Formats: sequence, C-alpha cells, structure tokens
Amino acid sequence: MKKLFSLVLVLAMILSLAACGNKDDDKTGDDNGTSPTTAPDDSSDDDATGEAVTIKVFTNLPDRTTGQGFVEQTLFDSYMAENKNVKIEVEALDDEAYKTKFKAYAAGTTMPDLVSVWGQPGFIDEVMDAGLLQELNAADYADYGFIPGSLDGFSKDGKLYGLARNTDVIGFYYNAKMFQDNGWTVPTTYTELLALADTINAKGIIPVAMDGGDKWPLYIYMTDLLQKIDGTGVMQKTADAIANADFSDPSFKKAAELLREAASKGLFQTGFETTDYGTAKNLFTNGQSAMFYMGSWEMSMATNQDIAPEIRDNIRVFTMPLIDGAQGKATDISAWNGGGYSVTASGAQKEEAIKLLNYMFKPEGWTKLAWENGVCMSAQDFSQFATGNETEVQKQFTELVKSATSLSGTPLGDMGTSEFKTQSSDLTQEVSIGVKTADEYLQGLAGASK
Amino acid sequence: MNDRVMKRSSFPIGKIIIWILLIAVAVIQIFPLVWLLDFSVASSNEMFTNGLLIIPKVIHFDNYVKAFVDGNFLLYLKNSLLINVLAVVLVLIISIMTAFATTRMHWKLSGTVRIIILLGMMIPIHATLLPNYVIYDKLKMTDTIWAILIPYIAFSLPQGLFLTSSFMASIPKEIEEAAIMDGCGIYRIIIVIITPMLRTSLVTVSIMTFLNNWNEFMMASTYLNTDKWRTLPFSVLKFTGLYSSNYAVQFAVMALTAAPMVIIYILLSKHITKGVAMGAVKG
Repeated sequence: MKKLFSLVLVLAMILSLAACGNKDDDKTGDDNGTSPTTAPDDSSDDDATGEAVTIKVFTNLPDRTTGQGFVEQTLFDSYMAENKNVKIEVEALDDEAYKTKFKAYAAGTTMPDLVSVWGQPGFIDEVMDAGLLQELNAADYADYGFIPGSLDGFSKDGKLYGLARNTDVIGFYYNAKMFQDNGWTVPTTYTELLALADTINAKGIIPVAMDGGDKWPLYIYMTDLLQKIDGTGVMQKTADAIANADFSDPSFKKAAELLREAASKGLFQTGFETTDYGTAKNLFTNGQSAMFYMGSWEMSMATNQDIAPEIRDNIRVFTMPLIDGAQGKATDISAWNGGGYSVTASGAQKEEAIKLLNYMFKPEGWTKLAWENGVCMSAQDFSQFATGNETEVQKQFTELVKSATSLSGTPLGDMGTSEFKTQSSDLTQEVSIGVKTADEYLQGLAGASK
Repeated sequence: MNDRVMKRSSFPIGKIIIWILLIAVAVIQIFPLVWLLDFSVASSNEMFTNGLLIIPKVIHFDNYVKAFVDGNFLLYLKNSLLINVLAVVLVLIISIMTAFATTRMHWKLSGTVRIIILLGMMIPIHATLLPNYVIYDKLKMTDTIWAILIPYIAFSLPQGLFLTSSFMASIPKEIEEAAIMDGCGIYRIIIVIITPMLRTSLVTVSIMTFLNNWNEFMMASTYLNTDKWRTLPFSVLKFTGLYSSNYAVQFAVMALTAAPMVIIYILLSKHITKGVAMGAVKG
C-alpha cells in the first residue's frame, strides 16, 4: 500500500514539474505571440504589402442585426471586403457592462483599437484626462459635413479625440390619428399641454408614456424645460452650476416645479417612475397612450413591421411647447450629440483604426446608411441623402434640426461625473413624484456636484 | 373494528386535500417555465398586452431559429458545459480534500485556514473585477478558459467547503478508526469511505455551483474578449438593442439556456430528495 502511494506521489511530482515546464513554455509562447501583432504595427505605414492586420473594436451595440448595430456591422463588413488584409474583431457589450469593461481595459496594458465613447463630460472627461485616447487630425474632417458644434463634446483644449455618431433630438411622439379622431390639437404652450392631458385622461387614455424607471428621460425632460425657459446657454449654465455646486439660478427651480406639476396633473401614466423603456414604448405602440416622450432614435417606430399599421403610419412628433413668460422660442430645441467613436492611445493598430474610422464617417458611410434605414440622424449633414421615401416623422425631425435656432447640448445628468449622473437621476425621479420639493432637489444637485 | 372503518373512509378526504395542496404548489413552481415557453413563441409586441399569458396570433418558432443562428447558441452551450463541468469537478475535489484536512486532521492552523477560506463568502464579485483583470492582463491570461474557471472555482469553494465540512463533522469518527484498524490508508479513507457517505451533500454542492456559474455574466464579460470561451448568457446579449431589445428572441434564448438546468435537476432529483430525507434522519 505504502509503495503504491509513494508511486502516486512521485507521479504527481513529475506531473507538477512537467506542468511548470509547460508554463514556462507557455510564457515564451505568449511572448512570441505578441511579437507578430506588434510587427505589422511597425510596417503598417506601407499598406501596399497587404500584411494581415487585425483591428479590435469594442462597441456598445450588441445587437448586430438591427438598428445602429446593423449599420455599424455593415460598414465593418464592407471595409473588410475592400481591404482583404484587414480583419475586424468586434467585442460588443450593452451600456452597463460596456462601461465596467471599459474601466478594466483602461486599467490593463492594451486597449482595443477602436472604442465607443460618449461625448459627454460625465464619461469622456475622465478618459481624455487619463490620456487613453489618440488625438485625431481635425483638418481631416473639414469636408465630412459634421454639424457645427457636434464635435465639441469630443474635444479638449482644441484637440479632437473622437467623432460623433448621431444627433439626438428629444420630443413628444404622438398618434396623429388618435388626435384627429378626438379633435385634439398639438399644444403650443405648456398650459395647453397640461389641459390636453386632462382631456385625454378623461377619455381613459394615458396622455404621455414616460420611461421614468430608467430615470434619464426625466433629467432630459428637465433640460428640455430649461431650454424652453432660457432659450440659449443651457449647457453653459448647467456646467457652471455643477462647477460651482450652486443651482440657485431661478431657471432650475422653475423647471423642477414644471416637471412636478406635469407629473402631479397626470401627464404621465400612473407609476411612470417604475415603468421601463420597453413598457413605456409599448404603451404608445399599442395605442394605450396618446404620446410618448423619447428621443429621435425611436423614429424607426414608423417603419417597424411589428407595430400595427394604423399606429405606425400615424406617428408624428412635436417638441416641448412654449412656457408662458419664458424666453425660449419654438425653434430652441433640445438636442445633443451623444455616442461616438475614438481611437485609443494604447491600441496596437492606431493607424489602421484611424483609417477605419475615417472610412466609416465618410458622408456616404454611416450618415447615408443610418438615414436610409431610418435608424437615427447622424451628426453630419444628411440632407443630400434624402430619398423622398422618408417617413413623416423623419421629415419632421429633419425640419426641426434644420430650422433650429439653438440646441440645448448635453442633458443635465450627463454633464458631471458618473457619480453625479447616478445622484442627479435619483433626485430628478424623486422630485417628479413629489418625494422631494424643488428646493430640496436643487440642494441635492448642488451636493452631488461637490 | 368500527374505528378502523371510520379511519379508512376519512382517508380519501385527507388525500384529496394533500393532492390539492400539491397541485397548487406544483402550479406555482411550474408557472415560470410555462410563462417562459409561452413568451418565447410570441412576438415582441404582443408581450406588453395585459394578462399573464399570451395567446400568440402566430406561433413564432423562428424565435428559436434566430436564437440558434444569430445567438451563436451551440458554441456558447459547448463552452458553458465544459466550463461548468470542470468547475463543479474541481470544486468537489478541492472541497472534499480541504474539508478533510480542516475538520479531521489535527494541525495548528486547521481552524484558521478553514475560516479564511469561508471568509471568501463575504467578498463581493464586483470588488474583484478590476484587480483580477489587471492580474490576468499582466499574466496574459485574459480571454483564456482559466480567466473564468479560476474565479468560478474560487467563488464556489467557500460554499462547497462549508457544506462538505459540516456534513463531514456529522460522520462518526469511529468509522475511520475502524478503517485504519483494518489497514486502510488516508487517501483510501477519503476516496472509498468518506466520499460515498458525503454523496448527498456533494449533490447539493454540485447543483449550487452549477447554477451560480451557469448564469454568471459579469465576470465572463470582463475577463473574456472574444467568442472563444464565452458562455450562454452572452447569447441573450446578442438581442439587446441600444434602447430596446428583441424580447421574444431573448425569451427563446432563456428557454434554451434553462433547459439543461431543468434536465440536470430532473436527473438528480432522486438524489436531492434522498439527500434531504437522509439529512433529516441524521439531524
């Protein structure tokens, strides 16, 4: 018996020694493994050799078959078809997981080459300060037709670090047929909007489907109100308020009170603070609500075959109505450039990633595809791609952007750190349901800014 | 005599009550699965209508086709099975050996070592994500099977050790003494005598380890970069849009993901009930 065990022990020792040896082999193997990836980096300037290149892309669009993920994948596929030596590896996670993994990558030694970023101080400031992003040559994009100001969020000290993917406009989608059948008209003032809510509620229909569970639509509503109160300079005012931890400006209080008033007068569905995105949207697309407060990216509802035609074909949009005694005009709208792309400074294939980025954002790239598929409005001039087959709601959004006299810029919650985003989201939800008063809310925001 | 007849005639009433209760419990237990299957053949838009269950206008089996093809299901299933089976086997081996070493063997630090390992239960996964990533990155181990196998084992081990060691403590020492008297060595005691007696607690450990790691996503998404070792929860992600998702296909994916678990439970249910009953008698 003892002999048997000593045999087993000896075997185990030999095995573990062998394993150690293997480990060393693995290590050298890995070192060898890294050198080929660095080699093409050195020779990437002379692309004519056609040396194999692998570009790693990290994106927040996990669904590759519909929406923006589809547009992105289509562009990658066509780039690979045109450049046979290039292979694009996509890693896609949804927003929450994306941001966690992004931090992990930032802590590691190498990042993927092309990454999704948000051109909002809450995300990109820390990233730019840490020197994670590669500077882009701004002159390259002079004739790309980016809408003036759309790249501001991606720049720091006059240096450009990323490109904006889309222009987002917030508004009230409404069911035009339902409005017509009941003799309702699109409200032009906030008072009219609240009066209309009463009329709609009396019919047993929900006036506005609101995604309050995710909270961010609520702080966008705040910025929307601020834009109509002040008309211009909302983003600067918010930035200053956060920098000085001082939200005493009367506009903030007014906006908070108007948000609370809307909720207390039943503009939104009961329990809106727990309704999530999908549920809110479906209240509208099933005809249970007359309106839906959401961004321009939802314009694809008008082409979504899952939605009943009598609703799908009657989707129209209007923006936040005028507020009595305030300065904002009807053409001062809430819009911003949120998502975009950057090339990382520590990526192995910087040059190749920039080439890919430039390819994607040629006007006939992202802009054309996104517009034709009714996915979103790009941050570039897309008027040349008008097909004439646009849905009504697409035309309305185009008109809104074209005739806009001022844009609000980044919404309130995305202006500060990620901590500020969390706290301001919670606070805005609390003030909307009346758990906090407007004053407590503003104090809370000031506290969150510190 | 009369009494016995009375008892016999009242017996069916008691049986009926038990049956009703059991059926009620069964319905409550099975409902989520029925609901999952029901929603997995509906269309996304039907999902938000009122009512608990939907009667789909068209039965969308194409949800399953999409889940299989676009969701990369087979590759993820293979990875999930491999990783989870390895994790369970390793957790069992390490748990048994550690439990024996810390509850049966007498050495100075046996109690301390056990407590240190059990303390692992207190560590939240999220706190380890970044440091572990940095370590893996330095060792060039990201995107390898080890990157998730190691944390899966590490996080299941405290629970496994806790269950096996408390169960092992209830096994009478005399059995081992008798074995030694008969000339049995230490490894043989563990393999031939202790392990079979631990079977019921080992089944519990296996199921808990399997279940926890089967649905794990946070660590897998952080430590893995490509499809090579990705597990089933990533399949759901493929249908998550930027703002709203393709819920119907996600339900189909979840039904497919849940299926292996249900099958394993059915296979092992005999042991589970046995384990509970034996535990009750022993206690």
